[in-house]
Amino acid sequence: MGRIDPRELIGRYGTALAGLSLILFFLIFAPNFASGTNIINVLKDTSFLAILALGFALAFTVAELDLSVAEVASLAAVVCGWMVHAQYPPAVAVAAALGVGIVLGSFNGFGVTVLRIPSLIMTLGTAAIAKGLAFMITQGVAFVGRWPVGFTGLARGYSFGIPNLVLWMAGATLFAWGLVKWTRTGAHMVATGEADEAARLAGIATARMKRIGLLLAGLFAGIMAMLLAANLSSAAPNMAGDYLLYAIAAVLLGMTMFEPGKPNIQGTVFAALVLKVLGNGLVLLGAPYYVQDIVLGAIIIGSVAFSASAMKKAAFKV
Amino acid sequence: MTDPTPLLSLRGIGKSYGPVVAVRDVDLDIFPGEVVALCGDNGAGKSSLIKVISGAEEATSGTINLRGKPVAFASPHDALENGVATIYQDLALAPRLSIAQNVFMGSELTRPVLVPFLRILDKKRMIAESQRYLSQLSAAVTDMTRPVERLSGGQRQAVAISRALRWNAEIIIMDEPTAALGVKESALVLDLIRKLKSDGRTVILISHNMRDVVALADRVVIMGAGRKYVDRPLGDLGADDIAHMIMAGNAKAA
Ligand SMILES: Nc1ncnc2c1ncn2[C@@H]1O[C@H](COP(=O)(O)OP(=O)(O)O)[C@@H](O)[C@H]1O
Ligand SMILES: [Mg+2]
Repeated sequence: MGRIDPRELIGRYGTALAGLSLILFFLIFAPNFASGTNIINVLKDTSFLAILALGFALAFTVAELDLSVAEVASLAAVVCGWMVHAQYPPAVAVAAALGVGIVLGSFNGFGVTVLRIPSLIMTLGTAAIAKGLAFMITQGVAFVGRWPVGFTGLARGYSFGIPNLVLWMAGATLFAWGLVKWTRTGAHMVATGEADEAARLAGIATARMKRIGLLLAGLFAGIMAMLLAANLSSAAPNMAGDYLLYAIAAVLLGMTMFEPGKPNIQGTVFAALVLKVLGNGLVLLGAPYYVQDIVLGAIIIGSVAFSASAMKKAAFKV
Repeated sequence: MTDPTPLLSLRGIGKSYGPVVAVRDVDLDIFPGEVVALCGDNGAGKSSLIKVISGAEEATSGTINLRGKPVAFASPHDALENGVATIYQDLALAPRLSIAQNVFMGSELTRPVLVPFLRILDKKRMIAESQRYLSQLSAAVTDMTRPVERLSGGQRQAVAISRALRWNAEIIIMDEPTAALGVKESALVLDLIRKLKSDGRTVILISHNMRDVVALADRVVIMGAGRKYVDRPLGDLGADDIAHMIMAGNAKAA
């Protein structure tokens, strides 16, 4: 603790405040943004992104990139949708979605730690495989239908007056935050990501931590997929593909706040909200659809530039 | 002042990396509470020898006895659990993590929470105990949440040593602890080592700095080309004498 350095405060909360200002800006100036339904929709929309991005952040915590999360989610959604379609009980379909995530997450972990393939390459390969399998299962079309409320309610229902989607997001956030901040496994994951060799010498099973990080990225993709399918009552082989860049942007933008330079749970979730607010607000202000992509790209590049300078500054103090 | 039974005893230790023979047939006894300086030119095999002792590398030949029992450490962690801690040349700290996180890396303290079978990190206690270790070493650092990258070189050594204390290591091996440090910082590290000694711990110190060796060591071991060729009490050896012995050994080995 000790004295408070204003520059450190800006480093920590600068982009978070900017995000907050952006939300306020849309609340005041974007037509209909502040309406109850719109806000609920933005929050629901944020849930999918936040859950997927949290998985990406957990893999990033052990210093591995998981570029397969979106395609794994698409495959999981398709498998899940196919099971609902074939009238399996919802619980089985949900288990299948999570199972796909866990299996492919473990596959990534195996490739990275046993075959020693860099995660960038390994997960790109997994993404291609997942994409191919998703198209194979659906034969290119989507599963659509009148699905049982027992399944769709997982995403569309409300509990205690709160949308279930928002509760899923809160649960995923709480789980990830508790894991990273408060458990030994989390501490070992952080140490592995920060200094692999130092962690190994301190007796941490670093390869296992990497496998856990990648497995969780897969599991979170599975959860997100199940919710996505439930919310839309359909499952298509490319349904989560667009989420990859958004998830990366959320994690990177999140790394500019609260704990600058480090992947962090609070930052990831808040950044996911900011990104969704931005997308929604731009649409309501009448901006053409392609503006979103340009802004997204600028945020990705800008965030990394910011984190890199924060990291350099820290290294400079040595 | 040394106990007659060795704490650590090496016999016929050899270490090869493929065709490169780094250590040849070294016998070495380390007695409780002594500070042994391991000297020798670059490439003499000092680091390789301590890697074998610390479980970082497997010996190609020979045996190691710890407290009279044969041991073969499979990993540095294995060695730590047996009371042998090594402080590596590059310190093996995570720069962006806090002092407390570094001291307790791999051996975090936990406490129970409301839910059965669930234990969460006991951050308060880890901070308090890190503080205790560092004050024990008289290192003037107060904020245990500070990232290690914001500490001076000497303070970082203190953090690395605190981790060894955390494991309650009986034998602490240090590979060139003052190599990258300025004069003032080096003095701090020498004090740290004196503290360890007065605390009854055994220290194996690799050093190129003959003044450090003369200031601290009870015994001097000199290696050259993988062999041990001097092993004697420091006695009244001066820095120049040791430097001469190292050079003479090189001449013989060449
Ligand atoms: N990992 C390694 N692979 C191959 N050769 C090595 C390795 N480590 C050390 N050596 C060689 O072993 C010899 C002894 O090195 P080292 O133990 O580092 O000596 P010192 O610490 O005394 O400088 C040197 O010839 C060095 O090149
Ligand atoms: Mg060396």
